[in-house]
Amino acid sequence: MTEIAPREVTPPPLQAPTAKEKKYDRQLRLWAASGQRALEESHVLLIVGDENLGSNSTVAGVETLKNLILPSIGNFTIADSARVTDADLGVNFFLESDSLYKSRADETRRLLSELNPDVTGHAITTHLSEWLELENSLQPYNLILICAPISLEYLQQTCAYASENSIPLIYMHSAGFYASFSIQLPHEFPIVDTHPDPESTQDLRLLAPWPELEAAVDSIGDISTLSDHDHGHIPYILLLLHYLREWKTSHNGQYPSDFKEKTEFRDLVRSGARTNNPEGGEENYDEACASVLKSIAPPPVGSGCKEMMNMPSCTQVTAGSPNFWIIANAIKKFYDTHGVLPLPGSLPDMKATSTEYIKLQSIYKAKARADVAEVTQTVRQLENDLSRMSTKIVDSEIEAFCKNACHVRVLTNPNNASIPELRLAISDAKTFAGLPGLIENDWEGMLPVFIALDAPRKMDLSNLSEDADVQESYEKAVEEVERVQGGELHNISSVLGGMVAQEAIKLLTRHKSSTQMAQHLNGR
Amino acid sequence: MQRRDRGVAQSLGGPLTKRVKESRVLLVGAGGIGCELLKNLVCCGFGSYRSAPATENGTEVSPAAGHVRKAEVVVIDLDTIDLSNLNRQFLFRKQHIKKPKAFVAKETASQFNPSVAIDAQHASIFDSKYNVDFFEGFDIVFNALDSLAARRHVNKMCLAADVPLIESGTTGFMGQVQAIKKGVTECYDCNPKPVQKSFPICTIRSTPSQPIHCIVWAKSYLFPELFGTSEEDSTDMAVTEGDNAEEVAKLKEEAEALKKVRRMMGKSEFAQEVFNKVFHDDIERLRSMTEMWQSRKPPEPLSFESLSEGPSIVKQGQTLALQDQRAWTLVENISVFCYSLDTLSNRVQGGENVIEFDKDDKDTLDFVSSAANLRSHVFGIPLHSEWEIKQMAGNIIPAIATSNALTASLCVMEAFRILRSQPAKANALAEPTANNHIPTKAQTTAIGKPEELLGGSKMVFLTSKNTDRLITSQPLVGPRADCPVCSPVYAKVAVSEEREETLEALVDLLKRTVGYEDFSMTTEAGIIYDPDLEDNLQKPLSELGIIGQSNGFITVTDDSDEPKVDLVLSMTIRRSPVDNAEATGLQITPEKIELPPKAQAAYANGDMYDDAEPEPVLAPSAGAKRKREAEEEVESAKKRAKSDVYVVEDDGAILLDD
Repeated sequence: MTEIAPREVTPPPLQAPTAKEKKYDRQLRLWAASGQRALEESHVLLIVGDENLGSNSTVAGVETLKNLILPSIGNFTIADSARVTDADLGVNFFLESDSLYKSRADETRRLLSELNPDVTGHAITTHLSEWLELENSLQPYNLILICAPISLEYLQQTCAYASENSIPLIYMHSAGFYASFSIQLPHEFPIVDTHPDPESTQDLRLLAPWPELEAAVDSIGDISTLSDHDHGHIPYILLLLHYLREWKTSHNGQYPSDFKEKTEFRDLVRSGARTNNPEGGEENYDEACASVLKSIAPPPVGSGCKEMMNMPSCTQVTAGSPNFWIIANAIKKFYDTHGVLPLPGSLPDMKATSTEYIKLQSIYKAKARADVAEVTQTVRQLENDLSRMSTKIVDSEIEAFCKNACHVRVLTNPNNASIPELRLAISDAKTFAGLPGLIENDWEGMLPVFIALDAPRKMDLSNLSEDADVQESYEKAVEEVERVQGGELHNISSVLGGMVAQEAIKLLTRHKSSTQMAQHLNGR
Repeated sequence: MQRRDRGVAQSLGGPLTKRVKESRVLLVGAGGIGCELLKNLVCCGFGSYRSAPATENGTEVSPAAGHVRKAEVVVIDLDTIDLSNLNRQFLFRKQHIKKPKAFVAKETASQFNPSVAIDAQHASIFDSKYNVDFFEGFDIVFNALDSLAARRHVNKMCLAADVPLIESGTTGFMGQVQAIKKGVTECYDCNPKPVQKSFPICTIRSTPSQPIHCIVWAKSYLFPELFGTSEEDSTDMAVTEGDNAEEVAKLKEEAEALKKVRRMMGKSEFAQEVFNKVFHDDIERLRSMTEMWQSRKPPEPLSFESLSEGPSIVKQGQTLALQDQRAWTLVENISVFCYSLDTLSNRVQGGENVIEFDKDDKDTLDFVSSAANLRSHVFGIPLHSEWEIKQMAGNIIPAIATSNALTASLCVMEAFRILRSQPAKANALAEPTANNHIPTKAQTTAIGKPEELLGGSKMVFLTSKNTDRLITSQPLVGPRADCPVCSPVYAKVAVSEEREETLEALVDLLKRTVGYEDFSMTTEAGIIYDPDLEDNLQKPLSELGIIGQSNGFITVTDDSDEPKVDLVLSMTIRRSPVDNAEATGLQITPEKIELPPKAQAAYANGDMYDDAEPEPVLAPSAGAKRKREAEEEVESAKKRAKSDVYVVEDDGAILLDD
């Protein structure tokens, strides 16, 4: 009885699956342990603006926090100097009758904390003017949420801080049926786990085979002498490599390059299939032909990855560089040396005997491991050179980067642009210049929501468009916002809280890409 | 002075606020979306109407005619709370685990506003007490379900009761909301839903080639044979045309032999016997069928003696079973196999006669994981960790708080649109007016700008791929003329409890009311009447399963040359006394029914609907089967996507977390 071949597995946890793993099971299946860790290390600050108009979007803010506390962020802080009113009680689920006249920050913190004992809540009950000015007042937080309306001074201050410290910031506003939010991204915001389509991640290296893969092709020998069974079970990857050799001998050592050549190459492969069988063909040859156009290509390097390798943060790492850039630098060195990225190492399903498939799989996996080892060595060297030995980057982080290297991307906010609401409020010339064009092309009619909610009061709205209907839509929207006097409708704030939390999670877990546009909602 | 409902009143305006407060809504499901919906409903003023003393007495949900409709939120859920719910079902805390979801949801939501009226019911929505009368008692119904069968059931009940339904579901970062109203919009079944891929029995039992085949074998064959009732076959596998009849017969014998081994449960050699039976003897038999292995690698039998390490093996298995993140080795799988078999046998000896596989029952998961892996080893298929197997065996769908929060609030947004557009029902149960169930012509969209349906209600999608917008919507579409579920006309038959009527009386009533000539009648159990099937005519209706207190339907099909649409009858108990002069104790509402011509059926393709080809039966089967079938159908709703996550996508119709 033989032991089965060793498989690549995640390091075994020595203890039982914890209650925690069970509790978060459904979300771990979405963003994995690495995403969960990032969430749990985060501290989210919710700033409620100081204009005390109605409920001041607090329901939206509190609902956002609820959606972040449930999946377990590490800490949250609510900064709100207001006291609970009757109207708050009717619309905010995280207040109870006894909360009346107490500090809204304290009360919502207390009731939100009941949702998840793994999360620690804090409250700042003093006015913004008293704590924001303090030194390092924003230092503990890695995500800032702002509930509008807020006075310009504090908005500016917070946005500037977020920008300087590379922290994402989300601004949200909810009133009646209207809601909107915008994200201010840091100058550079790397996303490793871009969750690309599995089809697009296939990197088979057919045009850059390494010695072990070449040896596997050699080992098939003369395929014309194989039995029908063996012939029909050559993994298609080896078939393609085999025919590529044949092609090269008749094409001056060149690989098929353009569409025409690839089509010819496909015909060459197809001509090798045995058809004197009941099926009239061979499945592995069908698979080979089907993948020619996709697989016969140089090893891929994603555009996001190329951009990343050219960014100064990548080429000039320092002792203070985040882990991401240290690994990026090592990846770049690897790429410069080999002309390819580290091999991801996964194989698609294919017609083959189990033995042959496992053999081929281990060739790819061994190569991927070797590539990771090389990158890891560079990282360790860098850590040494930069005297970063105290904060060693964990192996799994390097491994994950190598696996996704092709699809890594860095979101950027090149000019450190602040959120549109702020640009509008400070009468930013460029923003104002662009406004007529936006109004003209606002085919979904959502801009009035944005203008009505967040345009500064001094702004002249009486002549935005020459089209009477369009102009009327702005006036109506402004009326609507005035009518509700900052009163929130629970479900609209709940939608907004859901959207903001969704984006916050993507930002915190570095999962997929986040929207960079202001989002508006008209729930009427 | 500020009022509690200032925010709601200011946003919705006076008339709509009043409508919302006075309405009576049904929430089916108190899971992920259900918890969020309940919060949204109470925070938006639903169930908060107070004043008329008449509404104070009745907490009972009585369908009695003339009963005053009480403003409240009725929430129904059959489930109890599990640890893995707590990451999103925010009305539940750790101390609530194992308690009924409906009750705890009410308790927590009531803390927000103690005066809000919530009626929590711990029950299955398939229960016969939730009949058409019951559904008619609501202004709006919200579906917050995790099962295709239950969704389809509520869809049909709402069509029959002519109550607007708001249907929703989420999967990972995605979600969907759809408003449904009889004759106005598409119904849930207007678009076919994917059906489960059922594996050919020979693939599962003889020639597995993927891990999922081995998992299905362990979960749906081996486990029930050893611990289940094993009476009925699982829908996970079925005899298909491609299956070899001879082999199928052999497999039956094999299962018989396994039953003998089962009788040894409790004896010390039980584990060894089971092991040798399924991983050695059965494999040897398979191996001997050489023609089967001409183009496949033959399986390699395992033998227990060569591996056994004495009693310590069970203890090792216990330790190993805790390591669910890595794939166990062959020997480790044997340890876990022996350990879980031991544990499960002890449970049976302890009085638990039948154990069903449940992904959250660790003992059953241990057994299925180890058995599936051992079988994979035998067939040269890669082994998996228990964590991975759990996902495949349990059809686990990733679920997060944010998508549920978004989806639920969007549901309420649609509810406002509907309430605004629909005239308020009388404060008593609405009596169906003539033809009010018949699809109106107004639904078809005029050329050019589409007509707004249901007050501009939309089909709303949450997406994650599109980074420009998170929420997209499209206008609702009118019903499909050939939809087998919503194209029929629905009517109600009141059955007298004091006078037992025969099927003939019903047939006569239909001829009289509708003007049928040739027609047939079908219940869930099959055809009960057609022009050539008269055996049942003299039978009392109750014998055919047609009773007043039920949630079943009779489909009446017009068999004439130019057929009218089907008529679907629901049953209710007759309230008014039977006048002796009346010819029958049956009453049909509406009293006059005009059926429009039937659209050409371009849609029903047999395999979509179980009841497409009903077999004639003479006696109805027990209603208890329903729940089971429903559950099986749930399984069938979820098919395996190519990634390692189970997702079902069908033209934008996403199914589903609860």
